[in-house]
Amino acid sequence: MAEETKTEPKQKTSSAKSTESAGKIRQIVKRMYKKAQQAKEENRKIAYCMVMCNYEEILEAMDVVQVYTENYAGLCAVKREAEQYMKKAQAVGYSDVLCGYAQVGIGFDAWRHELGAMPPDAPDGGMPEPDMLLGCSMGCDPRWKWYQALGRYKDTPIYNMEVLMPPSDADFDAIRAYYVRYMAEELRGLIAFLEKQTGKKMDYDRLTSIVKQVEETRQWWRKAYELRKAIPCPMSTQDHFVIFVPHHMLLTDPMTLDFYKGLYQELKERVDNEIGVIDDEKYRLLWGVGIPPWHSMYILDYFQSFGAVFAAETAYMIPEPFEMPYDITDPVELIALRAFERNSAIQRRGKEAGGVPPLAQAHLERIKDFTIDGVVMHITRSCRAATMGQILVRNVIRDYYPRLPVMFMESDIVDVETYSEAETKNQIDTFMEMVDVYRKSHR
Amino acid sequence: MAKVAQRGLIKAQELYEHRQTRAKELAKKGKKVIGYFCSYTPVEIFTALDLVPFRIQGKVGKPVEQAGQYLESIVCPYVRSCFDIALGGELDFLSGVVIPHTCDAMHRLYDIWKYHLKPPYSYSLYVPHMTHQASFDFFQKEIENLKTGLEQFVGRSASEQDLIKAIGLHNRSRALLKELYELRKPEPPLISGSEIIQVLVAGMTIPIEEFNELLEDILVEVHSRNPSAENKPRLLISGSEVDDDSLIRLVEECGADVVMDDLCTGSRFFWHDVDPSKEAIAGLAERYLKITCPRTYRPGKAAQRFNYLGDFIREWKAQGVILYTIRFCDTYQLDAPEMMDYIQSLGLPVLFLEDTYITSPLGQWKTRVEAFLETIEARRE
Repeated sequence: MAEETKTEPKQKTSSAKSTESAGKIRQIVKRMYKKAQQAKEENRKIAYCMVMCNYEEILEAMDVVQVYTENYAGLCAVKREAEQYMKKAQAVGYSDVLCGYAQVGIGFDAWRHELGAMPPDAPDGGMPEPDMLLGCSMGCDPRWKWYQALGRYKDTPIYNMEVLMPPSDADFDAIRAYYVRYMAEELRGLIAFLEKQTGKKMDYDRLTSIVKQVEETRQWWRKAYELRKAIPCPMSTQDHFVIFVPHHMLLTDPMTLDFYKGLYQELKERVDNEIGVIDDEKYRLLWGVGIPPWHSMYILDYFQSFGAVFAAETAYMIPEPFEMPYDITDPVELIALRAFERNSAIQRRGKEAGGVPPLAQAHLERIKDFTIDGVVMHITRSCRAATMGQILVRNVIRDYYPRLPVMFMESDIVDVETYSEAETKNQIDTFMEMVDVYRKSHR
Repeated sequence: MAKVAQRGLIKAQELYEHRQTRAKELAKKGKKVIGYFCSYTPVEIFTALDLVPFRIQGKVGKPVEQAGQYLESIVCPYVRSCFDIALGGELDFLSGVVIPHTCDAMHRLYDIWKYHLKPPYSYSLYVPHMTHQASFDFFQKEIENLKTGLEQFVGRSASEQDLIKAIGLHNRSRALLKELYELRKPEPPLISGSEIIQVLVAGMTIPIEEFNELLEDILVEVHSRNPSAENKPRLLISGSEVDDDSLIRLVEECGADVVMDDLCTGSRFFWHDVDPSKEAIAGLAERYLKITCPRTYRPGKAAQRFNYLGDFIREWKAQGVILYTIRFCDTYQLDAPEMMDYIQSLGLPVLFLEDTYITSPLGQWKTRVEAFLETIEARRE
């Protein structure tokens, strides 16, 4: 019996199926940077941006080209070219434990400032010089402090904006009005800033139609995501960390809507034909909170060699559903209300569940909905925001699923020097044995 | 006379060394003590409701015992230390806790604290990161919400008059502290940097009326001092949470005077008054968003953002600056290089110290501080 429970890792086989949709992303990313560089040559306005700040539609309506700096750092890490920028940031005085994305971004711009030109051999041609810097408070502190720090190297105008995350135990009905009002005022401030920078006036009808298009895009992604509940799972987390790119960085591009419609069709076909990521799906895992190790994404395939598929994740999540009220015609009000409802949705459900912290609530929901046998979280040395609370999540999971295995992988979002493949594989070997025991006793 | 006058500083030192003693006494007598973090919690609301504000602090030098099971190793070590103390039961006398959403660590700490420690009362106060007009309007609403929650908790309400009275008491305290800080201006200063830390920390553990009485005693005592000039280098220390005097004492033992600070537990905590001509909550919102902490966005280049520091340097005649940050503090570490640029642009040398809070490397620092003081001495010559 003991021998039967022991799982032996297999070599990766050809049965591992990445989606065709995910296969398109590399070209999409290359085109995205190429287009941004061309836009700069054509004197169009370029903004440095952060993902999920609720301003994408506004920027599109004002014809501002969006360059997502955190994700450029991620790209540098994927290509293992982040280190040169991190070293630069450290050389000009920034801490080696500062947010890894910020280290890469500041290092990149410090170097560009020093050279008076694009750093040599910058991945995908580099980020074009911005005309404005648009930070926001949601997510973490570096998402607005970073742009302020760039004041050392640029005189580029900044608009930093508050995007509120209500507390987990708030009386949501009581705070809604003033939370939405503040958010709307912040967005109006952004519009005034953009009108000044671009010399254009906001076209509110156009903004409304972009907001509607974005909601449709999200509905398709959500529909596609739901299909991953199927057994066998039609798409893995490895693909999720690729296919989120159009949503997070090209949200308003009509191509993005088509992309998620295509993703849905592809996953539907897989589910209808019972095609999984792996032929013999033995275990289903959740990639818990924690930005992945962009420098070594292939380590996720090692889990696959045990017959495990990452069926869901809580990083780079799809925004919560939002039903657009018919009585609100002002798109700014609509975006502000949407931000509140979305940013309080998990909190609300956690509160209703008897005081489950929102971060943990997101995990509990996925463990149940996606039939999860084990959870992997990634403690990242340079990202406090996505790391602090992981132990809390593990503790809450233990309260609800006492024997569900949880593994903490440790490295960084961009710094490959923090990563030990041998240690990580040893950890995974042990973890998968525990997953096997859990799976046999619970499914 | 001299014996009587020394009572204030001795009492401050006792309170500093036994930080929970008075709050525990009051809790035993039935008073509700509310723990809070950061300079951004509007403690006037507590005072108006006859609650005792108690600023939660860590313990420098005490290794983290239990918190490692709840907080990741890359979390702000100050936060880990505070949580460790709470897990050890030392803060069980608290009736509640207010944790402002000031930085990522504080924001995340709230859910962790609430889930594991289950305080009878808790509130997460969203402090805006921005300082637009709408930010002030929003913050007023948040403070009103905090007040309503506390009123429900204690079963009584605070009137506008109660708030005005509380604001008056806290403004009085700020005025007394500023008077004390004026006594750091002479050469030599009449009160040392380490004494100042003790006084401030003491004040964060007792009701405001008691602190004001203590400050009045201390002022009499310090005014009566008549030290002879030693012409030591005069330093300013800028940074975040310094609630332990060991670093300042080290600097003093190396032969310098710490004559001014820009710390969360120092001037940042009390520098601005609440405008008494405004409605109470509006005045509080305005006052607390004025605090110059790196966690709040202030537009402009370094010269604009840090000019208050320049004013401190000029008025207190500082000849060098120690820039102290706690490891893993993104907001401070994103400002630090520009702060250094700014201070150097004023012609002053800067010593940058990154601390792990729990185990400060005092031995290494001693060498660095001595070398730094030599630089200042050379410039003075």
